[in-house]
Amino acid sequence: MKFHFFHLMPYPGLPRDFRDKYRSVWVDVPSALFDPAQGHRSYMEYLDELEYAESVGFDGICVNEHHQNAYGLMPSPNLMAAALTRRTSRAKIVLMGNSVALYNPPIRVAEEMAMLDVMSGGRLVAGFPVGTPQDTVYAYGQSPATLREKYREGVNLVMRAWREPDVFSFNGKYTQLRYVNIWPRPIQKPNPPVWVPGGASVETWDWCVENDFLYANLSYFGYLEAKKVLDGFWRTVEKHKVEPNPYRAGFLQFVAVADSDAEAERLYAEHALYFYRNCLHVYGGYVNPAGYTSVATIRAGIESQVARIVGRAGARAELANLGWKDLVERGYVVAGSPDTVVDRLNDLIDTLKIGHLMLLLHFGDMPRETTLYNTSRFAKEIIPRLRHRFSEWDDKWWPREQAVAAAPAPAREPSLAK
Amino acid sequence: MLADETIRLAGGRQWRVFRGGSGTPLLWLHGLRGVDADDPLLAALGRTHAIIAPVAPGFADLEEVAAIDNIHELALDYDDLLRGLKLGPLPIVGHSLGAMMAAEIAAHFPDRASRLVLLAPVGLWNDAYPVGDLFALPVAEMDRMLWHDTRARDAFAARLSGADAQKSQVEQILSVTRSIASVTKFIWPIPDKGLAKRLHRIAAPTLVLFGAEDGFVPPRYAQDFAARIARCETALVPGAGHMAPYEKTEAVAGLIARFLQS
Repeated sequence: MKFHFFHLMPYPGLPRDFRDKYRSVWVDVPSALFDPAQGHRSYMEYLDELEYAESVGFDGICVNEHHQNAYGLMPSPNLMAAALTRRTSRAKIVLMGNSVALYNPPIRVAEEMAMLDVMSGGRLVAGFPVGTPQDTVYAYGQSPATLREKYREGVNLVMRAWREPDVFSFNGKYTQLRYVNIWPRPIQKPNPPVWVPGGASVETWDWCVENDFLYANLSYFGYLEAKKVLDGFWRTVEKHKVEPNPYRAGFLQFVAVADSDAEAERLYAEHALYFYRNCLHVYGGYVNPAGYTSVATIRAGIESQVARIVGRAGARAELANLGWKDLVERGYVVAGSPDTVVDRLNDLIDTLKIGHLMLLLHFGDMPRETTLYNTSRFAKEIIPRLRHRFSEWDDKWWPREQAVAAAPAPAREPSLAK
Repeated sequence: MLADETIRLAGGRQWRVFRGGSGTPLLWLHGLRGVDADDPLLAALGRTHAIIAPVAPGFADLEEVAAIDNIHELALDYDDLLRGLKLGPLPIVGHSLGAMMAAEIAAHFPDRASRLVLLAPVGLWNDAYPVGDLFALPVAEMDRMLWHDTRARDAFAARLSGADAQKSQVEQILSVTRSIASVTKFIWPIPDKGLAKRLHRIAAPTLVLFGAEDGFVPPRYAQDFAARIARCETALVPGAGHMAPYEKTEAVAGLIARFLQS
């Protein structure tokens, strides 16, 4: 198994009555609620936490992209990844990732990711999410009718820009370029491993398997609800007659480690509830524009992540009234003593059969000391007891060690001066 | 009662077209809620006209709009249909997005329309009185923006759900999804795709009509259309919203008939 520390970088300063007073944490969240001083503090602490995760043994550190929201302060995850290349040296940087349809032309993504791969010494994992409706359709003005087609064309262009050694022309429907010839080129050949983070869509499964991309299901609702989604993915793998390698798939899970189950509640409940009550408080009109979800996916009865939260009758009220007990019982948060956590994560691994587990160990407005505590305990007491799972499989969706010259020593007074 | 048929054009494109009524031909371009055999406005217009009411690309099958990249290709698509049906100049009447299409057809091909009636047209934009963001509403709440007369709204819904009773809930959701998704392709994120630059090409006498209480497209846009079309009159229907043709059907039908005869 591999374990990755995932940071959403939520804005921690939302008022107590946020849910009652404002209609949405996304798209039209009032800018007056953003305090730049708080923002500065948060960025510095969050980067520290990602760097700390490397130091205690996480395999990957993950950042992602969202726009016009207080849910996650990373309109450009590439900036965060760039900062991380300078202060880390071993952990892989899992950029989860760039919503390719939002970049014009999309070779910008190929260029920036190539820079990150070169800067990090070949440690980049390249993520290509379609992006949530709030981000893509409302904040970035993409038509839901063409978003997926534009995204796929963009990803194909990025892949070719990395792989093809010679200058080529690209005559696409959404992008036309006479000369494609990016500099720099990635260290990893032919390209960094590609991960596709998604809620669930039927076509995405086929596409991931056909292109050998990793499929990552990012859920806030725990592994019990995700079974349907991963079952669909593994059926697709079977249909394509490729090996059901667990490292083809990843899953995201909130985890809270403490001395006891009661201690977990005392330490973490408030911050988990901040996340579920405030950070998922998205106005219903922004979650499910017609055309965003494909006809085949609707027919398959699969809801998008966000539509699941606010689209269902009663779900909004349910979220407002959610208590810690509900979060834990339903598996939204795996919480408790190390024994409890290991038991439940073994159950998760058996249920979903995924080789890459992404962990949310910082929730909502969790202070730094609590986050570091949770991160440290997970690394020292949980990872060693689960590390052996799936060791019989070869992980082909992960950066291989690269033969890169050691980074030079930091600059100092030049010796040539004399 | 209209009958529907499938028209196959030489290029391979298929259209579903509702036809009925008798008299001189009239092209009807439907709005956001599509068209069906028992459309009450078409029943009224059919007393004096042979109605030709194509189903807009995407409403029946989303794949149709995948091949149409922009508003100009959409105008060509309609022109292909009119050529396929061997129709000469005729009155073109459209509602909502259909009214925008009617204006686009008349601007792209000034000889196509003998008269033009635009019922609550989208297609123009003014920051001072923006078109409502219908597509940032949960589907269940869209009706509140579209209808002023709630009794008419309920009657319309009851009529359609009677006709749709055979469909499963998923198929009903898909039907709404297809119609809204295909509309958004041509007006996202702001319903201004350059029509203002083309309106001066419209040669046909034009009537622009709004429900006085339209909560989606502010009726003030009638003046913006009139300012750019050479022979254009405007009318307001009191007590009606964006769905005026189905809220005040007789009044709207009367205004259209009078304009077409004048």
